[in-house]
Amino acid sequence: MIITTILFYLFSAILLGSATAVITARNPVYASLFLVLAFFNAAALFILLGAEFLGLILILVYVGAVMVLFLFVVMMLDINLTRLKEGFLSYLPLGLAIAILGVLELAVVFWTSPLGHIPAPGPIPANADNTRALGVLLYTHYLYPFEIAAVILLVAIIAAIALTLRRRQGTKTQSIDAQMAVRAKDRISLVNLRRPEQ
Amino acid sequence: MLNHYLPVLIFIVVALVVGVVPLLMGASLGPHKPDSEKLSPYECGFEAFEDARVKFDVRYYLVAILFILFDLEIAFLFPWAVVFDQIGMMGFLAMMIFLAILVVGFIYEWKKGALEWE
Repeated sequence: MIITTILFYLFSAILLGSATAVITARNPVYASLFLVLAFFNAAALFILLGAEFLGLILILVYVGAVMVLFLFVVMMLDINLTRLKEGFLSYLPLGLAIAILGVLELAVVFWTSPLGHIPAPGPIPANADNTRALGVLLYTHYLYPFEIAAVILLVAIIAAIALTLRRRQGTKTQSIDAQMAVRAKDRISLVNLRRPEQ
Repeated sequence: MLNHYLPVLIFIVVALVVGVVPLLMGASLGPHKPDSEKLSPYECGFEAFEDARVKFDVRYYLVAILFILFDLEIAFLFPWAVVFDQIGMMGFLAMMIFLAILVVGFIYEWKKGALEWE
């Protein structure tokens, strides 16, 4: 088990280092790549805890989809960093106030709830199956939140479409079904050109 | 359980070595004779005109976010398939309702033309 302990400290150290780099990196592309590294290490910590499903889903969803989207937006978007930094000093008091409030809230949560007193996890049983345990809980005990998750996903689909879908006027596109359905008599008409009898 | 992941760890270490060692060898063994012409950015003989970042169409973002939503839907299917023999009819119907709600969204985006690329 000494190896697991070493791996835990290794992954945690990389996680903390890359999380710090996310907020200190000057280039936003580097910051999002550091966030990818942080997600990978968090997934490794999940797997060390025996939560292999959560770890793999973290890589699949966050690294595979969400961070690719972030990176895409950050790399393509027209962000003028010097203009973003202009109002830094005037926003500083408000930002500090919000940061202090957030830290206070976290402290209150940790001191007053059992969240701060969770015992250290024991050794993982040999036949532990994280995916199976999660599935049994999710599809029997937590059925209602599960269906709410479906509704939230539906809302997200409709909101994304409603916010971003624009029909652009005057684009030249093929309408394939109309092209396939056309008949010869729609396109060609035979006109009788014989000169009238005199 | 963790010893099943030992090959993955070895893979990660090997991948890191394969990725990092050539860079280090190139940086340490190669000759370094920099001058201002070598270090200046080169773009087909011109000085760079402008930043590479431009405003781009929001439809790329729409396609990406629809992909993420259905990716999340798939994530729910994995534990369902694993415990399918334990949850019975109730679990089966729950997943069918879940999928039906998302199929409503899928039909909406199809009919709305969000999947088409003008």
